[in-house]
Amino acid sequence: MTSTFQLSEEGAAFVKRELNRYEDRHSAIIPALYRVQKENNGWVSPESVTYLSHLMDLPESEIEEVLRFYTMFNTKPVGRHHVQVCCNISCAMNGGRELADRLCQEFDVHDGEISGDGRFTISRVECLGACDKAPMMQVNDTFCEGLTEEKAIEILREMK
Amino acid sequence: MPKCTINGKSIEVKPGTTIIQAFKEAGEEIAHYCWHPALSVAGVCRLCMVQIEGQPKLQIACNTVVADNMVITNKSEPVKDAVRWGMDFHLINHPLDCPICDQAGECGLQEQYMRYGQYDPEMAEPKQKKHKVIDLGPTVVLDSERCILCSRCVRFTEEVTKTNELGIFNRGDRSEIGTFHNKPLNNNYSYNTIDICPVGALTSKDFRFRQRVWYLKEARSICTGCSTGCNVNVYFNEEGTWRVKPVQNDKVNGYWMCDKGRDVYKFTNLPVRLTSGKTGSKDNWNLLEAGALAKDVGATIRAAARSGADKIALVITGQYSNEDYDALFQFFSVGLGVQNIYHWINNPEDMNGFDGLLFRGDRNPNTKGLVARLEKYGVKTKWLDLEDKIKAHDLTHIVIAGPENHSVFPDLETKLRLFDQVPNVVWLSAGKSVAVDGLTAVTTQIPMKTFIEKDGTYTNYAGLEQKVKRGTTIVAGALTLEEAVHLMSGEELDMNMRPLPPKYLKTNFLVHKGGPL
Ligand code: SF4
Ligand code: SF4
Ligand code: FES
Ligand code: FES
Repeated sequence: MTSTFQLSEEGAAFVKRELNRYEDRHSAIIPALYRVQKENNGWVSPESVTYLSHLMDLPESEIEEVLRFYTMFNTKPVGRHHVQVCCNISCAMNGGRELADRLCQEFDVHDGEISGDGRFTISRVECLGACDKAPMMQVNDTFCEGLTEEKAIEILREMK
Repeated sequence: MPKCTINGKSIEVKPGTTIIQAFKEAGEEIAHYCWHPALSVAGVCRLCMVQIEGQPKLQIACNTVVADNMVITNKSEPVKDAVRWGMDFHLINHPLDCPICDQAGECGLQEQYMRYGQYDPEMAEPKQKKHKVIDLGPTVVLDSERCILCSRCVRFTEEVTKTNELGIFNRGDRSEIGTFHNKPLNNNYSYNTIDICPVGALTSKDFRFRQRVWYLKEARSICTGCSTGCNVNVYFNEEGTWRVKPVQNDKVNGYWMCDKGRDVYKFTNLPVRLTSGKTGSKDNWNLLEAGALAKDVGATIRAAARSGADKIALVITGQYSNEDYDALFQFFSVGLGVQNIYHWINNPEDMNGFDGLLFRGDRNPNTKGLVARLEKYGVKTKWLDLEDKIKAHDLTHIVIAGPENHSVFPDLETKLRLFDQVPNVVWLSAGKSVAVDGLTAVTTQIPMKTFIEKDGTYTNYAGLEQKVKRGTTIVAGALTLEEAVHLMSGEELDMNMRPLPPKYLKTNFLVHKGGPL
C-alpha cells in the first residue's frame, strides 16, 4: 500500500475543474473518485481519500460516504485487469453465472479476489446495461458482449 | 401570519413555520426521530406523519410548511396506521436487545412502540447482522444494529461542531454509521451525539452499564465546568451522582454542553470528597465535625483580627455562589476589616479562552460574581502582593476558599506550598487532597458542599445570574461556604432561614439536629 498518494498534475487540475463545474461542490466527488481509481491501479485507498479531502476541501467522511455507496469504486486493491461479469437477469438467463464460475476456475481465483499472478480480479456485478447482448462482461473499460465461455476465456488469455 | 388548526386547536404561527414546529407550539405530541430543533431537516424517519384536510396523502410534519387555514391532525386512523407501519419498518433489523441496552427506559423506540405499535411483527426474513460494540473514540460506543439511521449524529458533527467525523457508509440495509477509516470521534462535544441519538445505538463510555436510568432521579442545575454555565440535569441516586446532560436554554447553551462539562459530577462523589472536618498538620490529623471546627477556627481568627487584621489574608477562588461570597465579604471585609483579600486565578493564561461554541478557558462557574464583589468591597490587590507578604512573614493566618473541582486547578500544589509558609492555614474545600494533608502549618480543613448540594446563584461570563437549587446531599457533614462563615462569625446557623424539604431533614444530620452545633 502506498503511504502517500498524489494525483498527476493533470489529474489534480481535472479535479479542480470539476469542483467549479457543478452547483454543489459535492457533485465533483464522483468524477474525482473515478480519476483517483484510474491513477491508483484500479482502486481508491484511504490515503487517496485523505489526499482528495485536502485537494477538494471537503471532509474525508463525506468522500468516504460516496465511495462506499457506489459499487463501481473499488475499496480494495484489484488485479491488473478488473473483469466484471454481469449476473443480472438477462445475462443470468443466458449463462452469466456459469460464465463467472468458469472464469474463476480457469484463472484460479475466487470471486472478488486477485489471482495469484496479479493479473485479474473477477467480480460478479449487476446489470451493466447491455442486456440485448447477454451474457456480457466488462474488462477494465471495455464491454465484451455476446459471450460464450470459450470466447471469454480467449479474450482474457490475451491480456497480460 | 398563517392560522392553522392542530388537532382541533387553532393557533397562529410565523410564516415559514413547519408543521412539526406548530405542533410544539400548540403543545401537541408528535413522534419524531430524525428531526431535531437545532439541526437541519432530514425527513428520513417518516414517523412525524400528519393528515392535512383536503390532501389525499399523508405528509411529514418536519418538512411541510404551514399554509393559511391548514387543518392538521395526527390523531386520525390513517396516521396511526402509517406510524405503526413506520415502526414496523424501523424494527425490521433492530436487534431488540433492550434488556442489555443502556438506552432502555429512555428510548424513542420503546416509547413509540408502546404508544403506536403493540403489533405482531410481520417480518419473516432473518435480521440483517451488523457490527456491535464499535469503539468510536474516547467517549462513544456504537451499536450499528440498533441504529435507525436517522442521521442526527451525522448532522450534529456536520452542522454544530463542523468536525465532520461521522458519516453513513454503504447503502440499503447495509448502511452503517461510522468514521472515516476508524478515525476517533473526539471533539469536545461528542457526548451530545449520545443525547440526540433516539435509540441505544450511541452510548456513553462513561455511563454505560453503570446504572439503570429508571433508578436515577434528576435535578436541574448548571454546569460548573467553566464560566459559560450551561444548564444541565444531574442524575443521582442514594449512591451518588452518575451523569450530567444538557437542558435547553437558548440564552446560554442552546441544546448542548461540552464533554469537559460532563465530568462535573465526578468531583461531587464520596471517594474524592473531604467528608469531615480535620485539624492538625502533616500525618497528624484530628477529625472533628465541620460545624464545631468552623466555630473554633472562627474564634481564633476573630481574636487574631483584634490584634491586627493585616496579619490575616483571605484567598478566594471563583468556584462559589454569590451568596457564599456575600457572606464571606460581610464577615472578613466588613466584620473583621481584613484587607488582604486575593483572587486565586487557576489558569491565568487561558482565562479568556473560548472555543467558539460554548467552552471557555475560565474553568470557574462564578469568576464574574467574585470580581463584582471584589470591586464592590474595593479590593484592588494583586497576587504578587500576597507572595511578597508571605515571604516577608507578615501573615499569621490565611483562609482559603479553595476549589470545589480540584482537577481544574493545575496550580493547586504550587499554591499550597506557598500557603504552607503561613503559620495557620484554614482550608475550605469540597475535595480531599493529599497535598493538603501534607501541609506542615497548623491547618484546619473544613469540608464544603458542592454545587449540587446547595442553593445559590452563579453569574456567568456574560453577567447572567443563574439560580441553582439543591438536588441531593452527598456529604451530610459538609457545610456551604455561607454556613461556614456564619459559624466562624460566632453566629448560630438559623435553620429557619430557608425551610428545608422533609427528605433533606432525614439525610443531613447537621440540619437534623436543628439546634446550635
Ligand atoms: S447512531 Fe443514533 S443518532 Fe446516529 S443515525 Fe443512528 S440512530 Fe441516528
Ligand atoms: S461549556 Fe462550560 S459550562 Fe458548558 S458544559 Fe462545557 S464546561 Fe460546562
Ligand atoms: S442483465 Fe447483464 S447487462 Fe443487463
Ligand atoms: S421527524 Fe419527520 S421524517 Fe423524521
